[in-house]
Amino acid sequence: MSDPHPITMTVNGQQRSAIVEPRKTLADVLREDMRLTGTHLACEHGVCGACTVLLDGEAVRSCLVFGVQADGAEVTTVEGIAPAPGELSDVQAAFRDCHGLQCGFCTPGFVVSITAFLEKNPAPTDEEIRSGLSGNLCRCTGYTGIVNAVRQVVRERAGGPPNGGAPAGDQPSEGPPTQGVPTIAGHAVTTLPSAP
Amino acid sequence: MTAVQDGAAPQTHSGVGRFLGQSVKRREDARLVTGHGRYIEDVLWPDAWHVAFLRSPVARGRITTLDVSAAAALPGVRAVLTGADLNPLAKSFWQTAMGKDSPQPPRRLLATDDVRYAGEPIAMVLAENRYVAEDALELIDLDVDAQPAVVSDHRGRWGAARDEELVHPEYGSNVASTLPYPGMPTENPALEEVLSSAPHVFEERFHQHRYICVPMETRGLQARWSPDRDLLEIVSSTQNVHEVRSMAARLLGLSEVQVQARAEDVGGAFGLKCFVDKEELAVAAAAYSQQCAVAWIEDRNENLVAGGHSRTEDLTVTMATDADGTILGIKGHHVEDVGAYPTYGVGGNAGLAMMMLPGPYDVGQYFYSAEATFSNTCGMTPYRGPFLMETVAREQLIDIAAAELGIDPLEFRRRNMITTEQLPFTTPMGLVLETITPIQTLDQAAEIIGYEDFRREQAAAREQGRILGIGFASYIEGSPAFGAAGAEQVTVRMDMQGKALVFMGSGSHGQSVETTMAQVVAEELGIDIDDVRIIQGDTTSAPYGTGTAGSRTATTFGGAARIAGQKLREKILAVAAVALEASPDDLEVADGVVSVKGTPGAAVTVEQVAAMAYAGHTMLPPEMEPGLEAKHRIRNPPLMFSNACHAAIVEIDRDTGAVEIKRYVVSEDCGNMINPMVVEGQITGGVVQGIGGVFYEHFVYDGDGNPLTTTFLDYLLPTAADVPDIEIGHVVTPSNTPGGFKPMGEGGAICSPPALINAVRDALAPFGRLPNVQPLTPEVVLDVIDGTAAV
Amino acid sequence: MKPAPFTYEAPTTLGEAVDVLGRYGDEAKVLAGGQSLVPVLALRLARFEALVDLNRVDELAYVREDDGAVVIGAMTRQATVEADPLVARSVPVLAEATRLIGHFQIRNRGTLGGSIAHGDPAAEYPAVVTALDATVTVAGPDGQRQIAAPDLYDGPMTSTLSDDEILAAVSFPVWDPGSGFAVREMARREGDFATAGTVVGVTVTDGRISRAAISLFGMGPVPLRARAAESELVGADASGLDLAEVGAAAVADVDPPSDVHASGRYRTRVASRLVARALESALQEASR
Repeated sequence: MSDPHPITMTVNGQQRSAIVEPRKTLADVLREDMRLTGTHLACEHGVCGACTVLLDGEAVRSCLVFGVQADGAEVTTVEGIAPAPGELSDVQAAFRDCHGLQCGFCTPGFVVSITAFLEKNPAPTDEEIRSGLSGNLCRCTGYTGIVNAVRQVVRERAGGPPNGGAPAGDQPSEGPPTQGVPTIAGHAVTTLPSAP
Repeated sequence: MTAVQDGAAPQTHSGVGRFLGQSVKRREDARLVTGHGRYIEDVLWPDAWHVAFLRSPVARGRITTLDVSAAAALPGVRAVLTGADLNPLAKSFWQTAMGKDSPQPPRRLLATDDVRYAGEPIAMVLAENRYVAEDALELIDLDVDAQPAVVSDHRGRWGAARDEELVHPEYGSNVASTLPYPGMPTENPALEEVLSSAPHVFEERFHQHRYICVPMETRGLQARWSPDRDLLEIVSSTQNVHEVRSMAARLLGLSEVQVQARAEDVGGAFGLKCFVDKEELAVAAAAYSQQCAVAWIEDRNENLVAGGHSRTEDLTVTMATDADGTILGIKGHHVEDVGAYPTYGVGGNAGLAMMMLPGPYDVGQYFYSAEATFSNTCGMTPYRGPFLMETVAREQLIDIAAAELGIDPLEFRRRNMITTEQLPFTTPMGLVLETITPIQTLDQAAEIIGYEDFRREQAAAREQGRILGIGFASYIEGSPAFGAAGAEQVTVRMDMQGKALVFMGSGSHGQSVETTMAQVVAEELGIDIDDVRIIQGDTTSAPYGTGTAGSRTATTFGGAARIAGQKLREKILAVAAVALEASPDDLEVADGVVSVKGTPGAAVTVEQVAAMAYAGHTMLPPEMEPGLEAKHRIRNPPLMFSNACHAAIVEIDRDTGAVEIKRYVVSEDCGNMINPMVVEGQITGGVVQGIGGVFYEHFVYDGDGNPLTTTFLDYLLPTAADVPDIEIGHVVTPSNTPGGFKPMGEGGAICSPPALINAVRDALAPFGRLPNVQPLTPEVVLDVIDGTAAV
Repeated sequence: MKPAPFTYEAPTTLGEAVDVLGRYGDEAKVLAGGQSLVPVLALRLARFEALVDLNRVDELAYVREDDGAVVIGAMTRQATVEADPLVARSVPVLAEATRLIGHFQIRNRGTLGGSIAHGDPAAEYPAVVTALDATVTVAGPDGQRQIAAPDLYDGPMTSTLSDDEILAAVSFPVWDPGSGFAVREMARREGDFATAGTVVGVTVTDGRISRAAISLFGMGPVPLRARAAESELVGADASGLDLAEVGAAAVADVDPPSDVHASGRYRTRVASRLVARALESALQEASR
């Protein structure tokens, strides 16, 4: 039966059906048949994490699951993370606040992965954060902004201020010391006049 | 002359305003964090035929069989095209920046008769989807009679001129290009004199292995030729839609007005997408010949094997010093492997490396020579800081020389760095450095990382058997803005509601251009940033340009945006002056309101001014043109400079050789920052690419030219667990170009490799000498610790 | 990078799965978590007429205690193994090894049986099976049979299951009180397959080592047992060991492969040190 199979799944709370070839990955089914292009494919062999979705609540690589295997399942994609259209989840807002993205191509996988990660571990150490992020590749940010975004969500959910009291983009409050260095809005700065 | 600002008074800090200099949150992000970005694969046309390429399985050989009939007969396949079908369509094939007449290897869209690197495209399937297209690939009958390939990762292949096999018989030699250029002096006698008489001469050959751009979004392009419209439409994942348009037009013999190209959101590029390569052009040619829509989304395997490669070079540096470590002269010889088909000309980055090798130092006598060589490997393409070998080599040799002379490496640098008093400083290559601050950034980096304290900690750690090291590196980042790249235009058009559309030829692929350029324009116009929208990446609406590459966006587009904004503000004030019956000189604009200075009651909103400028034009003086639109095409110097110092602390596991980066500090001077958050993001991203290059990433060929690292399981990108927080300090010295901005997009990737390698070298000093090899795998490191290194 | 077509079979019982598999013979492949198989299919390095998906065979997902052993159904997700209290209590090294497999997204989908059946010589689970002398239960047309750990693998990614058999469960013997375990590996990055690794188990009775097991992974075509080093350990004074010597003995006869990540020589050196580290940790655990 390599012929197309009818499948039905609940995607971001809505019941959706499609008729798909068994070999079609869940990622491609979501992108093409469900018309949800937020799930990105950046390696198609299970390493980069860009295609991460929640399958029955658990974060998985949607390039390593066939669409037919998700028949009857509940799937949440990045489009289903925000509480309402035009709003952002705290994880999404933290990505914006902390410059956790540049080109944005890997971001859906990070947002979904972190959302799941913090469900299981709401108070991670820095080491646990970096370990938890290590299944998702980003080529732009150097991860600093992403790690800061996770720290921000952890702080907020614990009742703290979103940015540790400092504006976005600054050194995190847990970050390494820069005492003795003059700062502007948290950035170490030495200002020189223009040269002659 | 060092002025230090404290955090209490940011408004007095040069270049900081209501929006400028502020870490404004990005307007790109709302769509990108919710999955509503639109990358090329998200906007594929429903009528597009999907492409899969048949690629050469060997590095070099004769094609003895190529039969596509079974593939073409597969249901769902529209056509299978070969070089015989497509190559005759190619009227001309050259990159604009190189010019029509620059030498290059024989270009072709698809291989015919022979293949010249593993992964070279031979045929292309057009099918109803990519699954079927790949099914069809398996039905193509291909036989290649393999021949000995010219391959190496470069070391040991200095005599390319003597190679028995030619990568391109038509070219006549495996030497692609050499420096000095014909007509230039072939040596510097004064330098030879210095080298023969100096108290100390140090010489090392440094290697840089093959590592590559790897944007998370691969390449992709869709094209549709509509003869009835006389129009070739293209959507491409590119840094430069203008080059896509121009290349496609030239290739097919169309005029540039018959081709329209645009980009959607672009998922990273790092240099890979600033030129246009054969696969992309083959898609355009297929659309043209088949008179239909054709789409190609590169997969990761293709991207790694055939997406354009980088680095792969050796640089031998000879440096003479006096007894106190003052540099008296430097000589460089650079050998680059540019693969079979470098995307630009005959490839090679030596031309720029030659200009940059002296770096932030006063080096005395100077000479540079270079050779670029072809090989049966994937061609060279630019990758963030393409010429960085100069910094990688120089900063290592400085540490080696300082150690041999018994001078602290920071002191050695300070002694030789160009001082503020020497500015403007003309380098041996004739570059004029006006506003660099190498000593200040060195000092700031040393202070942030706590250099003196670290040396004490290191000594104590060594007593306990721990292996710690620190490394520094300094550089100046030269942003090449040659030719059209130094003359970008920005057009600002205000509508009757007082909102501004800004058009520019940039091609943001993560640089936050929609935010930063809006900051610049909103600042000048005195309106809210939300009332400014940036339009880019579209040849039909953006002014002619050269896209986003070479760290030029802030300086060229930002400078032009600033002046265009100023021009439009003057027009706004001129129109308002009519309404307010005042002199424009007495007016100011802020928060969307034009008012008479000192008389806040006498005011008119920008929206009212805008309405008047268009609909109320009868009220304007006869010599005043109605409307609110201004444009400016900037004329920037061909090279602009920033500078920085990087410092890294590493600890090494003595049992495995694994390197942990404990601290990483950058002090940089990119002049006035439009958006410090974005500046820091560019730095951290670049640094981590350097971490990848030094410790993880290596594209490997075997001796026959077969690629071995063809997936992300073997080509290792650094993850969040492999890198530290990047700590950043800023020194701010405005440039002399409009806005005081400087180039900074590439520096993180340029300076991090030598800083990291120097840190490892410092850590291993008690054990022995670090061989000049890259990447520094745990095995290389452990060999030094165990004394088994084969230097 | 798209898989070739295949017929999809989704049985809901083990018996049905065995029947379906039998119909295809070697033309079918069992699909468990898919975390290794699907990339192979996507790269078209392999193709099968049919995939027999075990993900709807609920009876293969369990963790239970059975006669001095912990028995785990083949389709138990690695994330479940990682968090299972019985595993943590009775086969702690299995939980420890699980945390080294890939990333949490992989472990959410990947299964215990899939990894063991796949038999990657650089993977953690086959090395745990080898070290602990676990027993594998396989189901085939003629019913079920047991395969002891030493007989499970023929070569790289080649188990001794026949094409019509399905790995159904793995039984991990619970070692006596006074035992300690450790897994140590060197990987280029977190979550990567090991460049070299080891699983060590010891039982200490009255200060002397009464049982010892050392397995090595990433060090040969199959997970290896360092039998000679183990024999030297048994009977030795647990507090007077030269750990480096044991490490050296453990790798004395191995001939590990070289690849783009490391040479065989490097693997040997590192494995020897990892064995020493693991043994030190296992002895500490045993004495607690």
